[in-house]
Amino acid sequence: MEGEQLNGIQLNEFLIGYLKKRGFNSAAKGLEEDLHHNKGSDNNVSSFTSIDYHNDPELTKLIRSFSQSEDDPTRYRECYSKLRSWAYNSLDLYKHELLRVMYPVFIHCYMDLVGKGHTQEARVFFNSFRKDHEMIHLRDLQKLEGVLAPSHLEEMEFARSLRKSKVNIKICQYSYDLLLQYLHRTESTLMLGIINEHINFQVYSGQPTSASDDIEAVTIVGSFQDTANHINQKEIQWGLLEDSLEDRLEKTGGLLSDSEKGQGESKDGDADDSKKRSTEIGKQGSSIKKLKKDKAGNATAKVARLETSTVPPAPRVKSELALPVMSTDVEQSILEDLRNRVQLSSVAMPSVSFYTFVNSHNGLNCASISHDGSLVSGGFSDSSIKIWDMAKIGQAGALQGENDTNDPNVGPTGRRSYTLLLGHSGPVYSANFSPPGDFVLSSSADTTIRLWSTKLNSNLVCYKGHNYPVWDVQFSPFGHYFASCSHDRTARIWTMDQIQPLRIMAGHLSDVDCVQWHPNCNYIATGSSDKTVRLWDVQTGECVRIFIGHRSMVLSLAMSPDGRYMASGDEDGTIMMWDLSTARCITPLMGHNSCVWSLSYSGEGSLLASGSADCTVKLWDVTSSTKLTKAEEKNGNSNRLRSLRTFPTKSTPVQALRFSRRNLLFAAGAISKPAS
Amino acid sequence: MSIVPKETIEVIAQSIGITNLLPEAALMLAPDVEYRVREIMQEAIKCMRHSKRTTLTASDVDGALNLRNVEPIYGFASGGPFRFRKAIGHRDLFYTDDREVDFKDVIEAPLPKAPLDTEIVCHWLAIEGVQPAIPENAPLEVIRAPAENKIHEQKDGPLIDIRLPVKHVLSRELQLYFQKIAELTMSKSNPALFKEALVSLASDSGLHPLVPYFTNFIADEVSRGLNDFLLLFNLMHIVRSLLRNPHIHIEPYLHQLMPSVVTCLVSRKLGNRFADNHWELRDFTANLVALICKRYGTVYTTLQSRLTKTLVNALLDPKKALTQHYGAIQGLAALGHNVVRLLILSNLEPYLRLLEPELVAEKQKNQMKSYEAWRVYGALLRAAGLCIHDRLKIFPPLPSPLPSFIHKGKGKIIKTEPHKRKLSVDSSENRSPQKRLITTDGLQSQDHTSPAPMQVDNPIENDNPPQNSVHPSSSEQASDASESESRKTKGKEAGKGRAITMKAILKQIWKDDLDSGRLLVKLHELYGERILPFIPSTEMSVFL
Repeated sequence: MEGEQLNGIQLNEFLIGYLKKRGFNSAAKGLEEDLHHNKGSDNNVSSFTSIDYHNDPELTKLIRSFSQSEDDPTRYRECYSKLRSWAYNSLDLYKHELLRVMYPVFIHCYMDLVGKGHTQEARVFFNSFRKDHEMIHLRDLQKLEGVLAPSHLEEMEFARSLRKSKVNIKICQYSYDLLLQYLHRTESTLMLGIINEHINFQVYSGQPTSASDDIEAVTIVGSFQDTANHINQKEIQWGLLEDSLEDRLEKTGGLLSDSEKGQGESKDGDADDSKKRSTEIGKQGSSIKKLKKDKAGNATAKVARLETSTVPPAPRVKSELALPVMSTDVEQSILEDLRNRVQLSSVAMPSVSFYTFVNSHNGLNCASISHDGSLVSGGFSDSSIKIWDMAKIGQAGALQGENDTNDPNVGPTGRRSYTLLLGHSGPVYSANFSPPGDFVLSSSADTTIRLWSTKLNSNLVCYKGHNYPVWDVQFSPFGHYFASCSHDRTARIWTMDQIQPLRIMAGHLSDVDCVQWHPNCNYIATGSSDKTVRLWDVQTGECVRIFIGHRSMVLSLAMSPDGRYMASGDEDGTIMMWDLSTARCITPLMGHNSCVWSLSYSGEGSLLASGSADCTVKLWDVTSSTKLTKAEEKNGNSNRLRSLRTFPTKSTPVQALRFSRRNLLFAAGAISKPAS
Repeated sequence: MSIVPKETIEVIAQSIGITNLLPEAALMLAPDVEYRVREIMQEAIKCMRHSKRTTLTASDVDGALNLRNVEPIYGFASGGPFRFRKAIGHRDLFYTDDREVDFKDVIEAPLPKAPLDTEIVCHWLAIEGVQPAIPENAPLEVIRAPAENKIHEQKDGPLIDIRLPVKHVLSRELQLYFQKIAELTMSKSNPALFKEALVSLASDSGLHPLVPYFTNFIADEVSRGLNDFLLLFNLMHIVRSLLRNPHIHIEPYLHQLMPSVVTCLVSRKLGNRFADNHWELRDFTANLVALICKRYGTVYTTLQSRLTKTLVNALLDPKKALTQHYGAIQGLAALGHNVVRLLILSNLEPYLRLLEPELVAEKQKNQMKSYEAWRVYGALLRAAGLCIHDRLKIFPPLPSPLPSFIHKGKGKIIKTEPHKRKLSVDSSENRSPQKRLITTDGLQSQDHTSPAPMQVDNPIENDNPPQNSVHPSSSEQASDASESESRKTKGKEAGKGRAITMKAILKQIWKDDLDSGRLLVKLHELYGERILPFIPSTEMSVFL
């Protein structure tokens, strides 16, 4: 027999190599150590152990067959297709769990083939089974398709992370047994090796879970999932800031209505409402006052406010940042706005005012609306920023002429309806107003962020720090601080008065595409091309939440005013509502069929507005979305019900949305002529 | 192996001056080229997304090249997206239309207009959740199915789905076709061409998009053109052609079509001229109705019941004109013998009583009226006759009838002939008007060569002869009437005599179906011999 000619050492080496190749690294190491030990102490023992292999012809044969098949690229195809047909023919109850195993096996087979240089076979293999996974993993497949040489595996971040990490797959005990039985019975060690090396089974007892409810199955994030789970254990303070304007409103609102009661007159419906509310406060306050003496007014006001939504009131937290002091004028105007806010719900819809950019010549990259809706900015691909004052546009022509003469930006040809801000040297990707509307921040492909004054109409500061195009920049809810994110995979926190960033948040595996502040200013959320959303602590710069579930790059983010929820919109048109404390997706909101550019919560958080490239503004009922989940766990998904309204525009993709403090919804977009 | 063939690499190498590229090198390069291209595209797509666009432009690719620290490719920036053209003969080969431009042309061309400056237009997309119908908003005709909405509202309060209307695009050809057909229908000048059009309507595929337009057209024109007999007839022809067309799915439009059709059947007046043969139109429409019921009765179970209800109401309302009665009878008759038995025959006796005064020439001075009455009578007779004919046909072939009986019957008939004249005077019965008619008329030309409608087997022709014979003069009509009346009495006499024995025999033979036997007898009572031609020969033999 040939097997007998193999001497013991050769065989041992071979075995070690084999074990390594199969991913039994620890076993190989153990064997190696064992051998070394034996070699050192007693040669006889090693020869004795080797006899065992020699005397077992079947084992030798098996080992030889492995060595032959080792370099045979067609074996991947054979083994995979066998495993595939087995999985497809398995019991219905366990099928989806077994099929879940197929995708990691598939991509690793492919990468193995590529890694060994069998480009041709790899391509054939890929194309023959690509269809199976296209539905869920299309974008990943498109990325992997380009990997054709071993060097690409090294170079490509995605492939590298896949190779390095293990995929977690939840599987029930019986499915796991079935799989193991199959692998042993058919002696498909090739598949066994891949599964051992790249899949980490989390076996649980009991019945298999239903096919739909496992969102984690969608994305392959490898060990990343572990860190995500670990990170998501951290505690976060999602509550609102204590002594915020809302709180103050509730206090002063009560006082005001009292005084109004004394005068015996009420101007409008809102005043009536507040009066009612105050009387309610009075009623309920008496019962609760005993419990909480200090914050009685505060708490009862909250109870009254949240009565309709039946959500426990948001806790109050302290700010970790030193917040700027607000001038009393601004404060008063904000309070006035809040007092006059229209209450929105699924029955009381907002009015939508739409700003359409005409003659933008396909150059409008971003649009933004100030908090009161009076200013509109546009960032253009020709590096310019243009700001329109809608209040002036509405006025008579004579007045506009006057303004023009005062405007230093007016060219010799005369009237321009906007203020032109020049300074960037690359396409402007974001232009964002400070809450009072006196500053504008812009970010550009020239890697800089610029601060502009709308009063002086000129550039104040240029912030350099990012190394690549800055995709997004956002003022904090109180101004002064701002966050930016870039192609360099970081997000940064800045203050207006320093040209160096205060914090750098690194961790995303791909571009950070959008950024959003939490209402209490202690956190920022970032959406990325790696299909995750992360929440970062501003004070420590640590990642405190990872939200996994999107299937394509995240384009827009919005935080609910009570700080409890977050909405994120992606390239495919899916919007996901997240619970910040649990990092779970409450519900995916399907409806848009193209990129969701913009999201905005209404002032009291009952509605979510979304603007999309499919030329519609949609309104979603947040209260039902969050409430329904419990009932939904039992019965099927009733997604459609939560979309309240759809407002189609006349072929204008909706690029920006903002609910004003009084709950008027502003939307903006550039009209696109249909391709002729 | 790579989607970039090695030939491409070789061509590129040559174009940059490398002539001695080894084929192995080209093979090695190809996968890397593919990878780099994909990488650039991935970055370009990111740039596109951040420019809030959904079409990739050359500037996005430049941006991606910048990101990778590669010199961008100059000269390809463009205002809009590229327009690609398909290479002829290749399925998936495209090229951009890149024409050579002569410098001279460029220099000599007048300066282009300065592009318009960017501006912002403001409008209300929605006011308190409702989109105002202003030109700035997308045209939105909210079609709300009421029933569906109600369900929604019950389920989840105010959540209402707005459905956009389906835009119905009609090709130019179809528009022309429809116009042409409408013209032909309206003009009535070219019957030959119209016939061709009908054939086309009945056979052409691809006319389905026009069906709603045709139904609308028909409904409009019928309601407008009740005085225009020829137009109505043309319209009904169109209906028939549409029904016949196997490629048309007309069911959804039936509810629109039926009122017009029924109008043409039971309207008081169809056409305004004396010469307008509205009887013919009614007959035609009756067949049409029957066709619709037969074909779609199974799908719309209420169709026939609703139709018969309308028709019976028209028939039993004595205030309605005789023409309407006629239409109703014809319509019901076309629906089959069961309908006739249930709805006409059950009302036959009272109705005939009502009709009698109209039939009598003296009582009804208006020629037109009396003619109409006779038409109605004929229609009734025909309906009843066909009914009994069909009814009898159902029964299994009879056991050989008794020959003696036939003889007997024949003998009786022969006998009664002469007998009748004697009796005719004092044939009292309960039918005094008939009697009077007979006595006053006196003539009683027995050998009068009457066209005798009931002797013609073809039911359609059945109606025509009387009309022809009546038209010329009133006297003839009278004679005709008298003649038929006389026959009736004659038959009755004979029938009466036979009825008792007949009944007995019928009972014997068709024990299981006494009904039809009784029916036959009853009909015979009412119509006399006129009913006989409708009875198939074998049964006839038994009957007699």
